[in-house]
Amino acid sequence: MTLTRREALKRVAWLMGGTVSASAILAIQKGYSATTPAGRKPSILTPPQMSIVSAVAEIMIPRTDTPGAIDVGVPGFIDLMLAEVYAQTDREHYLAGLADFDAAAQTEQGKKFLALEPAQQLALVRKFHDPAVIEDQRAARLRDDLQRPFILMTKELTLLGFFTSEAGATQVLQYVAVPGSYHACLPVEQAGNGKTWAGEPGLRF
Amino acid sequence: MDSNSYDAIVVGTGISGGWAAKELTGQGLKTLVLDRGRMVRHGDYPTAWLNPWELPYGGRPTREDLRHQPVAARSGYVGSQASKHWFVDELDNPYVEKQRFDWIRGYQVGGRSITWGRQSYRWSPMDFEANARDGIAVDWPIRYNDLAPWYDHVEAFIGVSGSAENLAQLPDGKFLPPMELNCVEKQFQRKVAEKFGRALIIGRAAHLTAPLAHSPQRGTCQFRNMCIRGCPFGAYFSSNSSTLPAAEKTGNMTLRPNSIVYELIYDEKRNRASGVRVLDAETGAHTEYFARVIFLNASTFGSAFILMNSISTRFPTGFGNDSGEVGCNIMDHHLEVGAGAYVDGFEDHYYSGRRPNGFYIPRYRNIGKDKRDYLRGFGYQGSASRQDWPSLMHDTALGAQLKQKAQKPGPWHISLGGFGEILPYHENRVTLDRGVKDKFGLPQLVFDAGLKQNELSMRKDMANDAAEMLTAAGFRDVRTSDNVIGVGLGIHEMGTARMGRDPKTSVLNAWNQVHACKNVYVTDGACMTSAACQNPSLTYMALTARAANHAVEELKHMNL
Repeated sequence: MTLTRREALKRVAWLMGGTVSASAILAIQKGYSATTPAGRKPSILTPPQMSIVSAVAEIMIPRTDTPGAIDVGVPGFIDLMLAEVYAQTDREHYLAGLADFDAAAQTEQGKKFLALEPAQQLALVRKFHDPAVIEDQRAARLRDDLQRPFILMTKELTLLGFFTSEAGATQVLQYVAVPGSYHACLPVEQAGNGKTWAGEPGLRF
Repeated sequence: MDSNSYDAIVVGTGISGGWAAKELTGQGLKTLVLDRGRMVRHGDYPTAWLNPWELPYGGRPTREDLRHQPVAARSGYVGSQASKHWFVDELDNPYVEKQRFDWIRGYQVGGRSITWGRQSYRWSPMDFEANARDGIAVDWPIRYNDLAPWYDHVEAFIGVSGSAENLAQLPDGKFLPPMELNCVEKQFQRKVAEKFGRALIIGRAAHLTAPLAHSPQRGTCQFRNMCIRGCPFGAYFSSNSSTLPAAEKTGNMTLRPNSIVYELIYDEKRNRASGVRVLDAETGAHTEYFARVIFLNASTFGSAFILMNSISTRFPTGFGNDSGEVGCNIMDHHLEVGAGAYVDGFEDHYYSGRRPNGFYIPRYRNIGKDKRDYLRGFGYQGSASRQDWPSLMHDTALGAQLKQKAQKPGPWHISLGGFGEILPYHENRVTLDRGVKDKFGLPQLVFDAGLKQNELSMRKDMANDAAEMLTAAGFRDVRTSDNVIGVGLGIHEMGTARMGRDPKTSVLNAWNQVHACKNVYVTDGACMTSAACQNPSLTYMALTARAANHAVEELKHMNL
């Protein structure tokens, strides 16, 4: 079964507790975010693939009292990164991993990933994510040319896209463009508002 | 004098060229300052004000960027969307690697003074004596005391924040107020002193922590730590913010960007260089410029290129190359080796502001009674900070829990990496291949240089000592790293036209003059006779100021 865009949107709406903001719909339809050129359409991921990636990203960083992955345009950001930053082999690796992920939903639950209940979706994400985290931690000690599996590439790009977005940097974290001074040792609650400082991540993490 | 004639020509506008321009114009010489790259005025820093969410691709280089800057990518940072425009398009500027060689270049007015690390350390008396003491290469023709007043002169002008420590291996300078170590770094400082008797100090960095009366265009550090983009406050030293404006103010400077100097013009009758040949990078036009004195500050390999490409009956193998040492003795600092650890405690402490500086552990190996199975030593640079969201890659938290974890400052982590001295080996060299041309029709440089046993033995200490200190400090999950590097990755390249006492074994004399042609001075990294382990820019600046004032005196006495 191939999902139409409308169906995909409905799935995501359901995932987000029944409400989808206008901006989130735009984000899925047009795939834009602050770090993605406005009006850019996904060029790598098909609408059903975008829906799966959107759902996984939103499971990882959901909307709470602050915006979530879809609100800030993470799905479009992931497509952009696949299109322009990643090499062909990484892209193929990602799409194959995505297909395997969806196939696992079918094998284990008898349904496509997007047709699963939220709890089942989370369980499948966990099943892929948790062992991969341990493996990644172990492998990263040995070599740094690691090709991460689908679930961790999605996580890496979700973290990157979200925490370098304006909402991620200023609402979840705190950001000051011009601090003006340096205080080396403060009680946490006196370091700005006490949240983690946003900044530029390294080129790999 | 025709319109192409000047008192002095300076080739290059980076760290050392800017200083040559400032000193020569300041002493009244009409000076033509040439740079092969585009014009960059102080303030022309296109990414300086961008917020994280305004940088495309999360800051990462695209495939297309990597196609143009594959060597820069080896650094792991310079190719970011925030700074890639300060580094050359390598397709247009190719070179040949017989061994991997990491040549990271910035072709624009200001050169790499825009993107440098700003760490500013004096060399010590033992560094200038080391070659003679160890019987390595050739002796420096100068000693610390020759350079000390020029270190004073440079520090007073550029502004160096730091603390006086009274260490024999790292002389104090004229410092602006030091930046501060954070609480974990202070803890490490106490432990390293207690258990090893070693010093750990705040980095000495060319940032204004107080205003400089003579440079009103420069403001104090705002702790943004976006220095590599260019500082709109002029808070760290660059040619663009400091020396070039000073030179311009004299009215004696003519600055000509897009001017590729490819050859020195030699006047056999007078045994002097009469000028330089310039290729306009935009129009392709060739022009000759003339002067009484010429300063080569085109960077270590840029200056070596000009010397090697300047062939005459008198200098058939390269300008001033009677010794055969031009292009040889390539040095750098070897790095990408050290250790990191997690720190328990201090959870109720944090910092505010982004300090563009870290701590420094000055060299302690092969000093006093310490004796290792290698020569020379290394220093460490490092810092401690609280982990943030990238560390969540290795956390199983997802969903609302992930956001909560990201929001709360993570555990403290501390890391330190060594900067090790590389010895000058004659066979570590760069040559010209006249059969392989770049897009300007100029021959390409061919690099053949590598680390040897002395450096590899030192690297073992650099990893193990770091781990030993972190462990002794009581930190946990101590992990060492030692990555494979190419020479050049330290971006501290040196040595291709070394100073020395004997024209038979060196290219430059004690005043940085070409032995065989006294009106050509080379005062960039090419002039270095050994590498020490301190970041070299401050020493290039001091040598340049000293040489420029020598040139002015020699011109007055009609000696050039």
